[in-house]
Amino acid sequence: MIETWVEWTLIFSLAVHIVLTGVCVWRVWRGQNVIDRLIGADLVGTLALAVLVLIALIERTSIYFDVALGLAALGFMASIVLAKYLADQRVL
Amino acid sequence: METLFGVIVILAVLIGTAFSVIGVIGFIRLPDVYTRLHATGKVSVFGVVLLLLAGLFWTPVSPGKDIVLIGLLLLAAPVASHAIASAAYRLGIPAQQLSRNDLAEVAEQENDPTPQG
Repeated sequence: MIETWVEWTLIFSLAVHIVLTGVCVWRVWRGQNVIDRLIGADLVGTLALAVLVLIALIERTSIYFDVALGLAALGFMASIVLAKYLADQRVL
Repeated sequence: METLFGVIVILAVLIGTAFSVIGVIGFIRLPDVYTRLHATGKVSVFGVVLLLLAGLFWTPVSPGKDIVLIGLLLLAAPVASHAIASAAYRLGIPAQQLSRNDLAEVAEQENDPTPQG
């Protein structure tokens, strides 16, 4: 009984997060300046992380958490390096 | 016990989804870069972490990965937001309705061409 409710809640939340990812991709395409687009790319990475966690919860497997860990670590480094490159015009 | 865990998971997922929706609406609607950055911080710190807390109750295997991912997000997301805000300030992107600028004196001291000592 409760499993059905949880499953429908998770599917609803998955649909909402996919729509939000589409909105952020549109915002990256039509941004006002370069920092705006960088924030949008960071947000797309975070929402993709949320989608992976929701798929792991729906399937009840933990293999998607490994993918989410790699995505979180690499997305964090990508945001830091892109911000530093935009501010200093060099990476190191 | 299963029913209690199910109710906790439903509440956590709904609150996390609400935080994500509010963060993205703020990202679309707020006027300048710094306030948009303030809104998008909520998506990673509250939205995804609440989903991961739901996963702590609902996935049967390996809560260790879940806890590691929560810690990584709580460490990484504010650092990335601060880096992006610092890059925006150094690129000279203007803020609207700035009541006080604490970084102006610091920037003046750093750009001071007179030799010290």
